[in-house]
Amino acid sequence: MQHKSNLRRHQDLWGRLFVLPAILFFSVFNFYPIINAMYTSLFKKKVLSLNPPDFMGLENYRYLFTSGDFWNSIRATTVFTLGTFIPLLVFSLLLAVLISQVKYGRKFLQMGFYSPAVLSSVVAAAIWLLIFDPRGLANQWVNFVMQTPGIDHSWFANASMVQFATMMVYFWKYVGYFVIIFIAGLASIPGSMYEAARIDGASAWQSFWRITLPLLRPTVVLVSIMSMLQCLKTFSTQYLFTQSGAPQAPINVITMNIYNTGIRDHRIGRASAMSIILFMIMLFFTWLQFKTTKSDEVTY
Amino acid sequence: MKQNYTHILSRGLIWAILIISLICIIAPLLFMLTASLMPASEIVKMPYRWIPSGIYFPNFVKAVAGNDGSFIFIRNLFNSLVVAGTVSLTTVLISSLTGYSLSKFHYAGRDLVFMGIMATMMIPFEAIMIPLYMVATKMGIQNSYPGLILPFLVNAFGVFMMRQYLITFPDEFIDAARVDGMSEFSIYRSIILPNSGPAIATLAILAFRTQWDNLLWPLLVAQTEKMKTIPLYIVKFKAEMHTDEGAMMAVALLASVPMFILFFSLSRYFVGGAAVYASRKG
Repeated sequence: MQHKSNLRRHQDLWGRLFVLPAILFFSVFNFYPIINAMYTSLFKKKVLSLNPPDFMGLENYRYLFTSGDFWNSIRATTVFTLGTFIPLLVFSLLLAVLISQVKYGRKFLQMGFYSPAVLSSVVAAAIWLLIFDPRGLANQWVNFVMQTPGIDHSWFANASMVQFATMMVYFWKYVGYFVIIFIAGLASIPGSMYEAARIDGASAWQSFWRITLPLLRPTVVLVSIMSMLQCLKTFSTQYLFTQSGAPQAPINVITMNIYNTGIRDHRIGRASAMSIILFMIMLFFTWLQFKTTKSDEVTY
Repeated sequence: MKQNYTHILSRGLIWAILIISLICIIAPLLFMLTASLMPASEIVKMPYRWIPSGIYFPNFVKAVAGNDGSFIFIRNLFNSLVVAGTVSLTTVLISSLTGYSLSKFHYAGRDLVFMGIMATMMIPFEAIMIPLYMVATKMGIQNSYPGLILPFLVNAFGVFMMRQYLITFPDEFIDAARVDGMSEFSIYRSIILPNSGPAIATLAILAFRTQWDNLLWPLLVAQTEKMKTIPLYIVKFKAEMHTDEGAMMAVALLASVPMFILFFSLSRYFVGGAAVYASRKG
């Protein structure tokens, strides 16, 4: 008995040792920075200033909530998130359902739809910047479909068009990723359910609304929240667009505002306050995800 | 008979929708490929000709040499490879070690550690980049490889994935090795690691891609041209006034080659990441 507990203690020690590097890492590079950001958001702090930072309570937050620039960022982020994740959800679900209907070439189709996700965000944005060029493919195609030859839809100059352009890039890059997640979700629905429905005389349309969608609800919730969280963090596309001459205001998303405020303007306190607000928004959605997936377990 | 017709019709419709969508998705990729082979004057011709008249090599020369002819692209490519390679190695090692500890040991406080690590999933990098930048400055590692690498040594998702994977690993093997007198670390090295192949491959690819795609952090810490990574090179190349379209697409293509090699050779693990992520449950 004594021997066993010694052995056990020996094992426990090793177990703790193995987890130590991770604890150290997450403390220094995750927990410390977020606590530091909360703390710094209460100060007036500039990077290059030698003076000790002035404590100003919630002044940074008060400033942000009355600042048009910050509200514009909230607007830009919200528009981008809603305008991207809803089409992503609808089209990836539709494509996944259609792909799961075909007998041959499923693997090929999945790989094909997924392939843009292989590119890095910057490369994706660079390709689309050329497509949206006044003489580029976007104008050619739109003019062909709408039979309006020679019209420039000014994808960059126009405030709403440039927002739409960033959404296009994101949608294009990620739609295949969510198709694959939906296909995994669809595969977990037992085929016998469709069998039974068919015997009872249900049409394909009815099976989709009565079987597929309700049983797929956990995946739908997962994909919604995941894509929403990703859209809230978008940076690369907007950054490359503005660096290439697109107007900044319409697509000045929160992350870009944090970057510009903190790194370009050296206003660390204000940037930290913005970071904390972004953190809170994302925390809310993560909490929502946990809450909904917990109550959403499907049993067959 | 009527049943049969509607069946064929709906098959046809499904295929039509799928193929048209696939063409729309593939077209920009094909555009990158074909435009990289054309001189700028040919790219801007309307309508766009999808078949290049030949291979226009100056695009690739310009892509690698840069607009200023400094060949910094090669160094930047090397940096990206070093950073992404190191991060995927450390992610695999630390995640598997931590996941092993959290799934197969039973010390007090284990679940607390697990919950703590999972909690970091809720901290977006974008919200901590400014304090992280100050940490890097304090440590004096900005504009260096450690500076580019350290914040990404391991991530909570990797730990979570390895833990879930190892939970189902049979205890008997581990106990048998202990009876044979193997040390705890050699059990990890010669039993746990070799038996985690698929999870490790998925995780390594995921980590490599994330770093290959990383723009924000290098933008903060890489201050000299020599320490920049590929995404930064692309941003700079795009922003320069005299960049022509063909060379831009050549850069985009070259930057994507390593990813496409990974994708076509290891697509199972490549795509696997998405499915694993989808199946995660609290």
